[in-house]
Amino acid sequence: MRNLTMGRRTALGLLAAPALIRPAAAQSGPIRIGVPTAMTGTWAVLGAQVVRTCRLWARTVNAEGGLLGRPVEFLFEDTQGVPANCLRKAQEMVERDRVNILLGLMASSEALAVMPKLAEWNALFISSVNGAGSITAEHWVPNAFRANTSGPMGARALALWLRAAPQTEFFSLSLDYAWGRSSVETFEGLLRGIGKRSIGSVFAPVGTRDYSSFITRIRQANPQALYIALTGDDGTAFLRQAAQFRLFERMPVVTETVDMLFTRPAGDAAIGLVGGSRYTFTLNNPANAAFVQRFRSELNELPDTYDGEQWQACEVLATAVRKARRTDTEAVVAALRDLEMSSIKGPLKIRACDGQAEQAGLVVRVDRRDGMPHPVPEVIATYAPSEVTPACRAANFA
Amino acid sequence: MDPLALFALQLLNALSLSALFFFLAVGLTLIFGIMRVVNFAHGALFMFGAYVGVVAQTLSGSFIFSLVAAPLAAGLLGIAFERSALSRLYAREHSAFLLVTFGLALALTEAIRLIWGADARQAELPVFLAGIIFVMDEPFPVYRLFLIGAGVMCALACWAGLQRTRIGLLLRAASQNAGMTAALGNDVARIRALVFALACALAALGGALAAPLLSASLGLGSNVIIDAFVIVMIGGMGSFIGTAAGSLLLGFAQTFGNFYLPELSLGMTYAVMIAVLVLRPGGLFGRSE
Repeated sequence: MRNLTMGRRTALGLLAAPALIRPAAAQSGPIRIGVPTAMTGTWAVLGAQVVRTCRLWARTVNAEGGLLGRPVEFLFEDTQGVPANCLRKAQEMVERDRVNILLGLMASSEALAVMPKLAEWNALFISSVNGAGSITAEHWVPNAFRANTSGPMGARALALWLRAAPQTEFFSLSLDYAWGRSSVETFEGLLRGIGKRSIGSVFAPVGTRDYSSFITRIRQANPQALYIALTGDDGTAFLRQAAQFRLFERMPVVTETVDMLFTRPAGDAAIGLVGGSRYTFTLNNPANAAFVQRFRSELNELPDTYDGEQWQACEVLATAVRKARRTDTEAVVAALRDLEMSSIKGPLKIRACDGQAEQAGLVVRVDRRDGMPHPVPEVIATYAPSEVTPACRAANFA
Repeated sequence: MDPLALFALQLLNALSLSALFFFLAVGLTLIFGIMRVVNFAHGALFMFGAYVGVVAQTLSGSFIFSLVAAPLAAGLLGIAFERSALSRLYAREHSAFLLVTFGLALALTEAIRLIWGADARQAELPVFLAGIIFVMDEPFPVYRLFLIGAGVMCALACWAGLQRTRIGLLLRAASQNAGMTAALGNDVARIRALVFALACALAALGGALAAPLLSASLGLGSNVIIDAFVIVMIGGMGSFIGTAAGSLLLGFAQTFGNFYLPELSLGMTYAVMIAVLVLRPGGLFGRSE
């Protein structure tokens, strides 16, 4: 009987042990950060930027002695940009690998799939690249934060720039799928808001190679400026052909977001393209200069939009962890609220009400720069955070 | 814009697109006509040509050199592939060719990804091709006129080669009756290797010519192969004249379709094909088989 009691106690003790040990274990050893992102599929090229920047950041931090004296370790999983995959991989990371911090989710739809589960998992998520307005509006949850510039913030910066531009009549060319159509719709709404107008639009099927007919159509419409919502190979083909037709000599061309993935293959054909920007390596501040130098020396490349945004998100996390002096979800979430800091994009503040990082809005123009192998996005206008950040938990501007 | 100028521009646009289509499809037709092989790797070879062209131009600084290097490289690749893989399959049924050429397309695409990476690459036009001319006061790129000229030259050269030379005679003979051609003392195996190499070279030349317009990118191969098959179906499998007609028809359908009905322009390609096949099941210039 006595033996049995002892046995039961021992057994209970053994059962309880992991629960007692776990919090202590979680505060020593490496800090594990889960990055379920698109490593293959449509978004693979963007996912590659997220992954390489996370690795570079971990090397940098670990070389300086780690975070809170602990090494940083990233766990990567491929989601192919599919929300169901992302949810499953994130859950595996939380349950199997005891990860409580998620970064680098690729598609907004993936972030929106994971966010409702954060409370149940007792995990937190910092968006580094997700653009959808609703992440910090109707779908916001307390454990989610956004370090990057959102889609509405980028569009707002462009609208402020266009308001001051002399052109009043615009024509739009976009790819014929959900993003392209919504981009044009947003742009046309934005034009109405600043007293300018759209005189027409045309949608090209995805995979269009020869844009000559579309260029003829644009010339026939004869707008004062052209708005394009094109990406990837389609965008490159259009820019090159439009330059061959001397279209840019007749009208300025603006786009939602300029990144080098899109403009670099177009070479000189992209010169003059104006658009919103979430990040450009040409940003002129010491923190960014150091980042660009480190990036170029380690990876022999120029950081692009998602590299910069991912780096900023990692810096946001590091600042919050240092402030909290712990890595458990509750402490880090508390530290993130109203966190004020400066990163490679300049000063930012994570507002407590919806987790959005208030930061400057950028408009860039693609131009030649000495010592660069291709034209690069140069900042032509910067707008204060208060001008480009929507009201709390709002996706749009009233 | 003046309606006449608009029409003239669209006409030139359609002709330049047709020229690119012709380079792409004529090799497919040759291979099918003479070897009875449906070459699924043709789009990948077009893409290979674009990449080799860009690299050759980067290394040599000459666009014209790229137009020599790309077909040469693809021609050699074609001979190697025909000798090492296809030549073992002639006794087998058609599905073997489908699988093997599809395999080549996949392998070539992955090889390109490994060698040159996932980013698109661009070719630059030399000064004498980078200019514009004015068509009724509307600027039009000189390069597109160059493409039209190159397409016409290629069509004439192929026609003359097939109809007016001894090799052309042998090719036509092998296409009609390979067994009899061999029995008369001709090396049919060599003819097949030559045809395959020539077809690969033409596709690669098309790719190198397309590079300044489209840039060399990984999606290019799968993107163009469908157009190539549609052209060959429209023209009639294995018909040289049919390929020229099919290239023109598809070039005009896409160019004018993109202008007047952009939302339906993808369907336009298939509508043209279906219309032709309903009226003439063997294609415009083909025999129904």
